[in-house]
Amino acid sequence: MTEVKWEREQAIVQKILEKAPYAEGKVRRERRIEFKVPADRIRDFLMTLKENNFELMLQITVVDWLKEGEYELIYQMWSITHRTHAMVRTRIPRDLDKARMPTVKDIYPVAETYERDAHDFYGVYFEGNEKMEMPWILDDAEQGLFPHRKDFDMLAYVKRKYKILDRFDENKDNYVI
Amino acid sequence: MVSQSELIKEARENGMELLPLDKDTYELFFGPQHMATENFSIILKMDGHRVVKAIANPGFLHRGFEKLAELRPWYTNIALLLRICVPEPDVPEMIYSMAVDELMGWEVPERAQWIRTTVLEMARVSAYLFWIMGLSFKLGVYTAGQWAAAYRERFMALFEELTGARVYHIYTIPGGVRRDIPGDKWLRQLKDTVEYIKSKLPDFDNLVFENYITHRRMEGIGVMDKKFALAEGVTGPNLRATGVPYDVRRMDPYLLYPELDFEVPVLKEGDALARALIRRYELEQDLYILEQLLEMGPPSGPYKVQDPRLKNLPRFKVPAGDAFAHVESTKGDFGAYVVSTGGNKPYRVQIRGPSIAHGIRVLEQLLVGARIADVPVILMSLDNCPPDIDR
Repeated sequence: MTEVKWEREQAIVQKILEKAPYAEGKVRRERRIEFKVPADRIRDFLMTLKENNFELMLQITVVDWLKEGEYELIYQMWSITHRTHAMVRTRIPRDLDKARMPTVKDIYPVAETYERDAHDFYGVYFEGNEKMEMPWILDDAEQGLFPHRKDFDMLAYVKRKYKILDRFDENKDNYVI
Repeated sequence: MVSQSELIKEARENGMELLPLDKDTYELFFGPQHMATENFSIILKMDGHRVVKAIANPGFLHRGFEKLAELRPWYTNIALLLRICVPEPDVPEMIYSMAVDELMGWEVPERAQWIRTTVLEMARVSAYLFWIMGLSFKLGVYTAGQWAAAYRERFMALFEELTGARVYHIYTIPGGVRRDIPGDKWLRQLKDTVEYIKSKLPDFDNLVFENYITHRRMEGIGVMDKKFALAEGVTGPNLRATGVPYDVRRMDPYLLYPELDFEVPVLKEGDALARALIRRYELEQDLYILEQLLEMGPPSGPYKVQDPRLKNLPRFKVPAGDAFAHVESTKGDFGAYVVSTGGNKPYRVQIRGPSIAHGIRVLEQLLVGARIADVPVILMSLDNCPPDIDR
């Protein structure tokens, strides 16, 4: 791909950055752009994206960067008008009491489901989403168990929960469940 | 004679919790074992036979694929992730492979691209046949359902010859496909099958899609408009039934789709019938695409990339970075987001299932006001794939 082919994407990034000077943006490749936004401006930024014809929210991804002690939240957006995928990245602290984000369900209603998903598996709390406390996919009543966190010891949990697994050899190298 | 309030009082004293229902409404647990819900559970609040409120209750299929994927080497994840959507297992393996291809910087050989496109379209046709089976069972037209299952069986046999497995193929791998197509005989068989199913489409029309009962049961049921569908992140045939011509194959072209000629059917009504008809048109288009691919013929060359890093698969490493790949499945926009830190296992894999958008909030809103007999019809017209949501 040559640089000339990405002019359309460059123009989109430019246009959005003009309205949102607090963000950083770049073109990854054809039809793929990405932005870095501070966590407290995420609502403003998604509002700007919606005004610029990014109609669909495809996903909210949480990546647990254990060494940095941070969660990376990636709002994956798709524009039918521009035929472009935009990743909106932001970072928040990983500590459960600090991992809080404002909800975006009033901007993209479907975000409610993804936020519940992120809360269930990572413990990110989205303020303003009244379904946060409602049971979602996991039915475990144990509090503070967020199984997708990198420091969640799955083997220990399974052994504690389902005692039948005791007979497996613990010292096996590279134990994979 | 004990009065009702005394009974409730006694029950509360004994630690039982009673739901605060007034005398006109009752609660109905719909699924997950009920055949019509396909392993999905909905809690319905009913007034007579009308739904007053619906709460989607997922989690009965949850197996933690995304967490498991972090614990396995890159290549073995194919055999895991394809179990996400059973009627169409080629899609999850394809998006994962495409994302890894992007991270590796691989350009997949032409022959592999042809095979991948063919496999995707075969998967689409068999998934639509599977869906026709489900729909006709819910409408009570069992004959059509059994036909569809039998025709799908022909594709299963072709898949078995191609990949060695009937349902879970584990065929598309990063860098290409696992093995070459079996030969000209297989291509002839595929051509025959495509022609055969095409000749049977009028039967489906007569029995299901032009049937008076189908129209009475589906017209004006579960209506959503364009604005609502976009805000709720609905994709695929469900979105196209509201008038938005969004198809990943056209919008974000991949594999051989830019070279192929096909239409993106769009309807405006947005009701259950429109969604069903869109799928019927797409089935025809997919058969047409397969015909074109067969006419084109597989290009010569290798069926996977020739890379020395592929010599030792358990130690196969992917450069650090992240990639998002998505394809059009029969359920909608199916995507995979993959993060690598340079190790022999992925750091994070997230699958974007299309059903999570139209299977939770949209379903809850469309069901309000529906009759109890419409619940399975609406569920089927949305083509909800519960493992997509549960993962």
